[in-house]
Amino acid sequence: MAKTQRAWYSGMLTTEDWWAVWLGLFFFGLGLLTLAGVDLVGWVAYPKKWVFSLPDGAIAKKIVTMDKSFYALGGKYSQTAKDTYKALGPIGSILITYLVFTVATTIGAYFQKWDVKKYLAGWTIIFFLTYLVWFIGHHAFFSASVVDLKKSHFPDMFTLSLGGGASFILALIVGLIIGNFFKPLANYLSTAAKPEWFIKTAIVFLGVKVGYLPIKAVLIGSKLGAKGSQIGHEMANLTFDLFVAGAAATIVAYLIFWPGVYTISRLMFKLPRKTAAVLASAISICGVSAAVATGGAVRARPIVSIMVSALVVVYAVIELVILPGVFTHVWPGTSDPIVAGAAMGMAVKTDGADAAAGELLDEFMRQKVEKESGGKIVWMEGVITTSAVMTKIWIDMFIGLWAFILALFWVYKIEKHEGDRVPFSEVWFRFPKFVLGYFAAWFIYLGIFFGPGQAGGTPEGVSILKAAKAGAVPVEKGFRKLFFMLTFMSLGIITDFRKLAEAQFGKMVWVYFVALVFYIIPVAIVIAYLFHHGMTIPNMAAIPGGVIN
Amino acid sequence: MVFRTLFRPKQRPTTTIDMTLSHDGANWTASNDSVHLRAESLEALDRLVEQSLHDELADHDRLDVFMAFDNEVIPQWIRPYMNHYFNRIIELPLRRK
Repeated sequence: MAKTQRAWYSGMLTTEDWWAVWLGLFFFGLGLLTLAGVDLVGWVAYPKKWVFSLPDGAIAKKIVTMDKSFYALGGKYSQTAKDTYKALGPIGSILITYLVFTVATTIGAYFQKWDVKKYLAGWTIIFFLTYLVWFIGHHAFFSASVVDLKKSHFPDMFTLSLGGGASFILALIVGLIIGNFFKPLANYLSTAAKPEWFIKTAIVFLGVKVGYLPIKAVLIGSKLGAKGSQIGHEMANLTFDLFVAGAAATIVAYLIFWPGVYTISRLMFKLPRKTAAVLASAISICGVSAAVATGGAVRARPIVSIMVSALVVVYAVIELVILPGVFTHVWPGTSDPIVAGAAMGMAVKTDGADAAAGELLDEFMRQKVEKESGGKIVWMEGVITTSAVMTKIWIDMFIGLWAFILALFWVYKIEKHEGDRVPFSEVWFRFPKFVLGYFAAWFIYLGIFFGPGQAGGTPEGVSILKAAKAGAVPVEKGFRKLFFMLTFMSLGIITDFRKLAEAQFGKMVWVYFVALVFYIIPVAIVIAYLFHHGMTIPNMAAIPGGVIN
Repeated sequence: MVFRTLFRPKQRPTTTIDMTLSHDGANWTASNDSVHLRAESLEALDRLVEQSLHDELADHDRLDVFMAFDNEVIPQWIRPYMNHYFNRIIELPLRRK
């Protein structure tokens, strides 16, 4: 039975892309109910940094004992059901989180016609494995920062200061071990290991985060009176700056990256024209999506796109492992965190790997700057991730237009297919639908901030923003991080490095390597510098009581 | 060319015939309830389509053939990234080079 896309609504109930929108917006909508005094999202289990036992003189503040290593976020942030969510305890909140997301994602699996039984079993294993890794990764040795140690009155001790990054790395490692050394298990889990679905859903939750950033800034700064409102405005402006700069940087990147990689492929590696075009899009634009879109645009045999896609997936994971560390410690470094984030968005070629790399970069950079400044500089969490995802989202959105233009050029000028016409509907079919959820979540929270919240300028406004916060935090923090963790784990599970050696990619492996290392990454940093240099992240340590998680 | 695609001049209503386009690993294929055609290149396929619609063409000045790609050709693991290959329309009779 052929599966074609003819109508504009094709795939609304059957594709991961749309299901990321439905899942993301459903939980976003649940979060909004706190504005009406109903908290239905505070149950989500979130980890704390922990030790087996507290040293003498230490207090359980930022670092707690093992039995308190998870808590329901509503137990801390809810305005209406704090006691209920507190009473859940670690195990209760994890079980409710499992139940809710199992039901929600299984409905998605059913409509996408996956094997529901297999999905359920795989999901259950991946979910609990993810929580186990989340738990281990939050041991103070891996995650605690200087500020955490100070706030909990811990004696000076050596920690890796990786923050939440430790859990992400661990999840990826565990996933890769399963994917590469336990193939039967990896195959069994593959029905539920869906990094693109998880990350697209997480990106919709990130939309809540972006919209919530000004609210968070205002509420933290509210102790400063009018200055609090000003900080909120600055944060709202920063997100818009990222939005505009991301668009500009993306357009420039398209115009510079694509011709460069195409030329490298053709002149240095003598690849055929269509293969060079597909490869150029994959390496320079948005990986698999671009490889398939360009393959279609230039009317390449599908096998060309499939081969290039396999290459992209493996390279993206290699980038995810290497680039956050390089960007943090070598270039561009912590002096230009937003530049680094934006460059990441242009350099890493799948949504999953990019958002995951952005999140790692966020953790690494914040921990590094906090450690080096002795806790005097504390950046608000999530801004660097936002800069990485913002450029990637623009890149994703443009692919439809790019493929359309390329198709027109190819069909009418290069190969001159007589009578061939390119339907404009192609642009919509290639449009990444999950960004609709991302923008909806962002703009609605921004509307609350500037509308009924009055940018925190009045006591009534502040009280509305506080109610919004109770629903936003579990979504932007709890749900988002959980789906990031699931992404890291699933990415590892489905990545088989042997494919790179086994497949007959030939020259393509080297084109990818040369283009990425010597062209895409350096140029991405330069372009990101041109459009993002000077953007700064507010220092929360400079605000009394500002270092609040 | 962009103009031609976006803003086609008004003309007599065109009859559109739907087909499913696919690739079997060696050949492009175009099919519907009436025909199943295959050729190594799209150009050759288009000519086969034109020949197969010879009778219909005799009754019309122009025919559009909407070819919706069978996206099942895209492997399952790629679909989350992009689940659509491409659709195309060919205008018959073909303009010879």
